[in-house]
Amino acid sequence: MSTPLRDAAVRRLRTLGKHTGEGAIRRLTMDVEVDGRVEMVTLSMRDDRLQCVSSDAQNDGPHVLAALEFIAGIELREDSAPPGAVDSAGGLSGEADAWGELAEALEDLVTAVARVGVAKAQYAPSVDAALERVIAVAPRPTPAGLGRFIGRLQRDIRLGEARRAARMLEGASQLVETLRASTPTSDSQQRLSAWLGARAASISSAQLLYDRTMIEVGREWMTGTERASVERRYIVDIESGHIYREDRPRQALASLGPCPRQLQVGLAEVETGASPARIRILQYEVQPEVPTENWKRLHEVASRSFAEVSDGYRRSVDAHPSLSEPFALIAPYRIERNGVFKAFDADGHQLVLNRSERRGAVLAFYDLLAQGAEPSWLAGRLTDQGTTLCLTPFALGTRDGTYMRL
Amino acid sequence: MAYDTKVDLDTLGLFLHEGIASSEHANPRESLGCREDADDAEIARRLFQIIASSDLARIGTESIHPEAARHPSVRPPTEVAADPSFLGRLSTSGSSELTVERIDDLPTILAVLRAGSRRQRRAALGRLAQRLRDRRLLHTDAVRKAIQTINELRDVELGHELALVRAELPGASGRKARQEHDEWKRLAQSVEDLIRVFWDGQSSVEPIHLMPGDQRALLLMHIPELPDLAVQHINAIIEGNDGGAPLESRVGLLSSLRFATDIRLVPALISVIESERGALVASASRVLGGIDDARVHPALAERFERSFVTEERIALAGALGMHGDCRGLAEVRSCLEEGQPQTLLQALEAMESLGSSENTDLVTPFIDHADVSIAIQAVRTAARIGDGRALDVLTEKYNTSSVPAMRAAIEDALSAITARMELRGEEAVTIDWSEVGQKPAPRRGSRDSLPAVVLGWRDYFMGRVWLLFGRMTWAIVRFESAAARRHDWAAPLIGIGMTFARGEQYALALPAFRRAIELDRTQIERNPILVRAMAKSFLRRAEQVEREGRDDVARGLVGEVLTLDLRRAPGTVRFELRRKHDVLRREGTDDVHSAA
Repeated sequence: MSTPLRDAAVRRLRTLGKHTGEGAIRRLTMDVEVDGRVEMVTLSMRDDRLQCVSSDAQNDGPHVLAALEFIAGIELREDSAPPGAVDSAGGLSGEADAWGELAEALEDLVTAVARVGVAKAQYAPSVDAALERVIAVAPRPTPAGLGRFIGRLQRDIRLGEARRAARMLEGASQLVETLRASTPTSDSQQRLSAWLGARAASISSAQLLYDRTMIEVGREWMTGTERASVERRYIVDIESGHIYREDRPRQALASLGPCPRQLQVGLAEVETGASPARIRILQYEVQPEVPTENWKRLHEVASRSFAEVSDGYRRSVDAHPSLSEPFALIAPYRIERNGVFKAFDADGHQLVLNRSERRGAVLAFYDLLAQGAEPSWLAGRLTDQGTTLCLTPFALGTRDGTYMRL
Repeated sequence: MAYDTKVDLDTLGLFLHEGIASSEHANPRESLGCREDADDAEIARRLFQIIASSDLARIGTESIHPEAARHPSVRPPTEVAADPSFLGRLSTSGSSELTVERIDDLPTILAVLRAGSRRQRRAALGRLAQRLRDRRLLHTDAVRKAIQTINELRDVELGHELALVRAELPGASGRKARQEHDEWKRLAQSVEDLIRVFWDGQSSVEPIHLMPGDQRALLLMHIPELPDLAVQHINAIIEGNDGGAPLESRVGLLSSLRFATDIRLVPALISVIESERGALVASASRVLGGIDDARVHPALAERFERSFVTEERIALAGALGMHGDCRGLAEVRSCLEEGQPQTLLQALEAMESLGSSENTDLVTPFIDHADVSIAIQAVRTAARIGDGRALDVLTEKYNTSSVPAMRAAIEDALSAITARMELRGEEAVTIDWSEVGQKPAPRRGSRDSLPAVVLGWRDYFMGRVWLLFGRMTWAIVRFESAAARRHDWAAPLIGIGMTFARGEQYALALPAFRRAIELDRTQIERNPILVRAMAKSFLRRAEQVEREGRDDVARGLVGEVLTLDLRRAPGTVRFELRRKHDVLRREGTDDVHSAA
């Protein structure tokens, strides 16, 4: 393989005559030419594993191989042996033990809550001990999915939301089953990936996206094992209307920019799993100003049928009871504002606001309505209260193309 | 998830709520259709599965749940209910009978402008502007007095509103305000262009962080007029999503936004108080305290309830106080009673919004505090509380203090307290300024000989001529010569200081200004052009030495200039000096890196 870039780099280093022992390379993006075809390859370390992504979607194709050889410096060392297969038998066995221990800890947690009841779980030493054990046996740092489950369960127990706590624990039971299963299925792999990160799943379920225009419509800090441990951004693809979440753990990096913003995404990875799907934006350009026509486009792709929103919510929570936190972009057919806000679709189905979360945002929304704002679309997280599907508002767009973050 | 519809869900709900271990009336194994020898883990699993499935299946099948269809809740009171007087009940907006919007009497509006809370003063200024638009009233005495008051007002907290009202005034002051606003527009345009370049990836330099302090204060003073792009950029820095801003520049930016009222900042500020700790939370809550928006109070209250860091709690208590919620009063009181030096300044500041006449006795002793910053803050707090009992203490301090800044703060406080007493219907106290305070020391008679005076004037005149021709060095030589001939003459020293300041040689301007202040302080303090140049020189020099890492020197410079009466300096410079002083002071006590 020809390596003009490496040769040029060596020459530049010699010219500079400087050396630094500092710096760790975490991600490399390069244009690789093989057989006259140029593809963009990104190599990055995630959860201590090497991730290779190529713009031709062949993640083990010739462009990725060429990039790996370049990084390994193989082409320069004729005497060096090609890298052999890593003996991973020991690692796999250790991992199986760890998963077994985690399954046992989660089962203990489920049983502990069932024994004392949700009403008394907040002050029950057995529940505390079980939670501590789950955290102790989980991989370090605590995977985002597991952390979010713990945060949500503790909140539901604290607020006495028995039915939601039951849903959380049902999700944990499903994970126990998955961890103990001898043969992996695509569903079980998806579940493992959602709870414990991509590293836990043996089959990669990531899907690649190229050249998309996306708009971030809202963001919030989520509670995990600690308060405000993950910043979640809600991003809408203005072509398809798909909604993604970008999770930025505290002290970690994610895509830059304020909310709202427009992203020209060159390359992104989407994980299938709990709704909204998690996106990792790898190559992007950011525009803090969103053009008016794209706000209009957002209105065009918003959901108009609340029955479909409701069905989607049920399906999503059914698949991932503990981790699913669906987000919706709705365009109401009409709204009612006499005292209480209600949004209606063309079939007469209605959607109300959730008043138990983000109370300030709900109050501000009512203030805007009182000032005469005419929402043409509304973005928010879906929840259920009793038997009613509710929306916790994050943003709204008005008929004159104005966006308001709540 | 499918479940057996024959299962009694009410019984299962009881198991879920009370626990399967404490069930006396029903057998969970039987109710759940499990084997008799099934262990608790299996029962738990089955219980949660059935309840989760049934719960999910019911969504959307019934009419709207009454709990979900209720209006959010009543918002907190916006005014401090503890004060039943006119000012205590005076609302800034809404349908209440006693609102600033309904006051027609100009003297009353002016009194509210001097004595009210920040919100009330802002509303009073708005009301005054409305009244001034009435051309029929333009030539009345009351309106002339109002215009004079607006021109004399030097309230940095109302910087933006004041500039807007002044721009509408007729005459020279209106022209000057419009000119300043045009300068701001040019500054905002250039910053907007730089922000665009930054997000396009053509530059890695964040433009606002690099601006000189007074320029940044000027830019942010008019934040409601900034375009969305600039505000979004500021939000990105506040939230730490601009890709490079270190903690100290985020704190610095937040303290620069101290008196901002733009609701576009609210989501980012709330995000900071939800997710951050320490100085960031304290600075963000101070900004939120002054913003009227429904989202603010719930966020502040929630954070206050779970915060355990004293610095955060005091700032949050003060911010809640500005929204009419006095839940932090006891804590701020106890901070003042304990007299912990680290928290005194913040506690006194919080007392501005929380305090009532019951707290006067707690605040007034700090007017004699050895630390001038704390003493001046105590004076400001006493002014906001507005209790007539503080008048004697303040007058006595005015007579004994030799610190010009302290005397200026006391003058403002006395004026605010008398206005408040007037609004309360109490006996109006007229302060005879000729009887209060030390008389200015009589100027020493000139001991210079006539030739020295003549030659001094000649050198001074020549210096001015060289300045006109742009020959700075020659002009300075002449001024030096004039100063050497007449030892008690401040004019040539001021000339040197101004020349160096114009040439941005602040390190050289300072000694000249210092010598001039020594000779004739009042001449500088009473001349807006001189006081502006002098204050800016101290500020810019402090920024220079701070960039070199000499924070103690910077702190000394800012502290030195803040002892002078800077009321005639531009609000942005005064604001920035106070901000920098607070930041450097905190750095000195907390050993945090510079946040300026």
